[in-house]
Amino acid sequence: MIIWIVLLSLFCKSTQDEKSQENGFLYCGPQNVTLQHSGWMLLLSWEDQPSCSAVQDVLIYQLVVLRTGQQVHYDEVSVTSDQIESTHYWNWTSSLALECASHSVRLRSQTSPWKEQTIPGKQTSEGPEVFPKDEWFKVGSTVTFCCILPSREAFSTMYLTGYDGAQLKTTSNQTYALTVHLNQVSENSCTNVICKTKTNKENGACVYIGYPPRYRDLRCETRDLESVECQWTVEGGKGRPFKKPKDPQLLGRPCPMPSEGRCSQKVEKVGVGERNWRLTAQNEFGKAELSDTADLSKRVHMFAPNGVKALTVNARSVILQWDWTVQQYNILNMTCQVHMCCGEITIIEHFGVGLNCAVLNGLIPNWTYNVTVRCGTAQYFWKWSDWSKKVLFQTYGDVPEALDVWMQMEGNQIKIIWKMTQAKLSHGLIKGYEVIWRKTTEKQQHHRTNLAFNKQSFSLSLNSTKEYIVTVTARNINGSSTPSTITIPSLNPAGHRVNTSRIIGSNRGFNLSWSASPAASCGYIVDWCPTSGPCTVDWLRVPPNKTNAKVFSKNFTDGQRFSFSVYACTQGAPLLLDKREGYFTEKSIKEGLFKSLKGKQQDSDFEVSWDPIYLKEQTAFIQGYVLYCLDNSNTVINFSTDDPDSTSLRARNLKMGFYNFTMRAQTSVGECGAAFITATLNSPTENLIGAVLILLVTVFGLLSLTTMLCFKHWTCIKQKVYPPIPKPVLTSAGEHGCHLLYMDQCHHSDVDILEVLELVCSEETPINGSVRQENILFVVSQTPKGYSNQPQEKCPPDPLTATTTKLPSLKGLPSSPFGSVFSNPSYNLIMKPGDRQSRSFPELQEGNSFERSIDGYQPQGLTETFHINPTEEDPGSPMSCVFTYVVLPQSLSK
Amino acid sequence: MAARRTRGMTGPDVNRSTVARAASIAEQLRYECSILLELYREKESFTADVLVDGRLVSVAPPSSQLDTRDKLWRLHSALMQCRSLLERAIAREEEELGGGKKGEYETQRKRVKDRLSYLLICTGELLKTAGGAALLTPSLEGLELDGPTALFELKLWVYRIFKEVDYWTITTLEALPSVIAKERVRTSRGRTTRSTRR
Repeated sequence: MIIWIVLLSLFCKSTQDEKSQENGFLYCGPQNVTLQHSGWMLLLSWEDQPSCSAVQDVLIYQLVVLRTGQQVHYDEVSVTSDQIESTHYWNWTSSLALECASHSVRLRSQTSPWKEQTIPGKQTSEGPEVFPKDEWFKVGSTVTFCCILPSREAFSTMYLTGYDGAQLKTTSNQTYALTVHLNQVSENSCTNVICKTKTNKENGACVYIGYPPRYRDLRCETRDLESVECQWTVEGGKGRPFKKPKDPQLLGRPCPMPSEGRCSQKVEKVGVGERNWRLTAQNEFGKAELSDTADLSKRVHMFAPNGVKALTVNARSVILQWDWTVQQYNILNMTCQVHMCCGEITIIEHFGVGLNCAVLNGLIPNWTYNVTVRCGTAQYFWKWSDWSKKVLFQTYGDVPEALDVWMQMEGNQIKIIWKMTQAKLSHGLIKGYEVIWRKTTEKQQHHRTNLAFNKQSFSLSLNSTKEYIVTVTARNINGSSTPSTITIPSLNPAGHRVNTSRIIGSNRGFNLSWSASPAASCGYIVDWCPTSGPCTVDWLRVPPNKTNAKVFSKNFTDGQRFSFSVYACTQGAPLLLDKREGYFTEKSIKEGLFKSLKGKQQDSDFEVSWDPIYLKEQTAFIQGYVLYCLDNSNTVINFSTDDPDSTSLRARNLKMGFYNFTMRAQTSVGECGAAFITATLNSPTENLIGAVLILLVTVFGLLSLTTMLCFKHWTCIKQKVYPPIPKPVLTSAGEHGCHLLYMDQCHHSDVDILEVLELVCSEETPINGSVRQENILFVVSQTPKGYSNQPQEKCPPDPLTATTTKLPSLKGLPSSPFGSVFSNPSYNLIMKPGDRQSRSFPELQEGNSFERSIDGYQPQGLTETFHINPTEEDPGSPMSCVFTYVVLPQSLSK
Repeated sequence: MAARRTRGMTGPDVNRSTVARAASIAEQLRYECSILLELYREKESFTADVLVDGRLVSVAPPSSQLDTRDKLWRLHSALMQCRSLLERAIAREEEELGGGKKGEYETQRKRVKDRLSYLLICTGELLKTAGGAALLTPSLEGLELDGPTALFELKLWVYRIFKEVDYWTITTLEALPSVIAKERVRTSRGRTTRSTRR
């Protein structure tokens, strides 16, 4: 609306102006106005009307730019009086491609009417057309593209390849504009802008999106003191990879190798003080300009020394020499560095004008060196030259360095050890070692031995009560090293004892510290070794002013205990100051630590015992032990001890029953080394019953076994013990008037077997089975049906005592000879069978049956068991009845 | 004439094998062209129905009246134009649009160009056999090789060239069997004529 009002007022004014001119009033205004365009730019030119020459002051022209009838720009051009009557030019760059819409420029002076020139927008008849085409846009710029459609074509879509969310708007019926913020570089080709109609007609434009040269950090210097060499950093952003960029320019001249970010140009003189060195670079996207202000005489970057060589080589020194490719360097005050490697890397600096040699001292004999040199200006140091080419040389050999000697005491054995000479200390091939030792008190008498080059120790059996001095030297082709001496202390049992404390490893080593000792005149020695098992000690020396050391060794392993000793190095024997032991890292002890784990019940207690634990099995410090008792109801009770040296642990007041016992060691890494044992705890009564039962079973078993054996071997036993006995025959000598009495009948009953033996004397009837011995006839009667000397229940004999005592009163009844004592007053014969019969006496006295429980065979041990009382008659005869016969009273009575 | 041409050949088998080889190459070229078109569409974000109208190759219109030699001549000429256009398109692309890193598209483009050259050697051999050595290489005069100046139009032009190569490859592939058939008929007719004269 406002625009319309402005236009209306302008139109009214213009009409008035024309009217004024017509009225004869001369206005000063533009004439011959022409409007042209180039790309995005409008170019307007005009002249002043002749009447303007009268203007004394500044003449001001007003310009208005209209796009499709709408004002998009306003400007004023001031023309001074001296510029009047010349042609004036004005230009303006549109933000929209001029093809997209018609652009008009109106021009007037303060007093003249508007004059307007128009450039129409592009019209198309065949298909859609997109503008701008083939343009170059910086990344980050915002560009409006338009699509012009033929008449009667309907718009469908418009887009840039790879861009989403661009703003699209309609500028006229057949023109559509797409405003895009360009933030993606065109990589392989230009970026397409596509426009489509609803009738599927498609066309587009292609534009490049990229960066102007992105150079920074321009630094200029001189290398040959004749030219300037500048370097800059090329940023990594993608510029325009599809076309070679134009060469940048230094001092207005193109640089031949811009891609490397380096450019060199000859200059007349470098020492002219500070100067501004400018680099410009341009591509289709824009221009970059960099500058650096510098006095090149203070920015000399020298070339590397040329032809470096080792001129004179000695055992411990060398002279290096080189030359310069730039003659002007010979008058330059410079500093040079020599870099030596292959040993310790050393850099040595030298100063001088036109420096071209250097002396290197303190080299290692028989050593190969790799040396390079670099130089820089000494007065205004800018930067070092590149390192020269390396030069290789080897120093001459020398005698070996003194050995590092230490000792290891193993009882009376002293092991002298030294570190294998390193190549840089041997100064040549080691040929062998010499060890000399003597008592400190005997300075003249010493012993000596030579050892091969590969030996590293020597064991000596020394008198431990004496102090010794041991000296070791190394030998190479150039001679022997300075002797290294160590004093072996005498072992004094009453000497001071050093307690061992614990230490924990950290950071792949052990940090040891100890109290300073005034005795340590030459420092300290720390040695270490695994606590268990054989080893060769390792050691390090610590200077006197230090009382700590960090011990590293490739031998340190987790779970292995190491012992450390700290000695004071004195003028005499080393003095033990401190002892430590510890683990580099404590490791959980493996299961089954406890060997020979045994358990023993003591009432309601249960004591678990084990063998002492070897040190090598202790992969951590044992702080104590714990015993877990798990019963059938899964109740766990534990008992522990803090004594790491314990070999038993008692669980107290346990209930009777089955238990799983678990024994563990307590360490700083937790409880470990578990071992297991199971046991059933019983009450004492149960134990007694058990013992009795076992005893009974054992006795029964033994008896059964004996019986079985006896039964099985009855014949044999019978043969052996009870050989066949001839029928006893009581024979009568006749003249003696003895009668043989057959005891066929039992007067008590009709028993067939009568066990009672009767000794009778019969003269008339000789009987078989008589035993004659030295005219003594001992007659044993037998039952008619066979022999038996066993007592029979059916026919129990009368009690022997009764038989014995009442013998005279018996009538025809034989009396049992077993288990009876014949208290015969004539011969006083005592018949004493086995103990069994003896024990039967009380029964017999009570009138019970004789040996009723015994059946089977009873050995006829008469001849063996009959004892004849020697005190009565004929002590020399085993049987006193030889010459006397028993005369039954009954027979006598008959 | 036909008999003379037949006699001029090294034999019908050789001819047939050359045709078979040409057909095989054309088949391969068709496959490679389809890949190239796909890669180009992908590279330029073109849709399949991007506006490409009109032919770039100009040859005599197809006709059933054409004999084998003329048919072969027409195909060979079209393929020759395709190769010239393709070479030019590659050069313009390198010059105006590309020159950056070489990727799958560039490799495929070269593959198509090489394959087209092999096909041309085959069709050239067939043409030589059919028309004798006197037949010269078809002229490329009048062929618009410069292409447009605007970049987007240049891209479309390149795409049209690829489509043209594809089109003439398919045409060749379709035409070759009928060439063999006609050649057989002509050969047998020639033999019949000779045997009748005898």
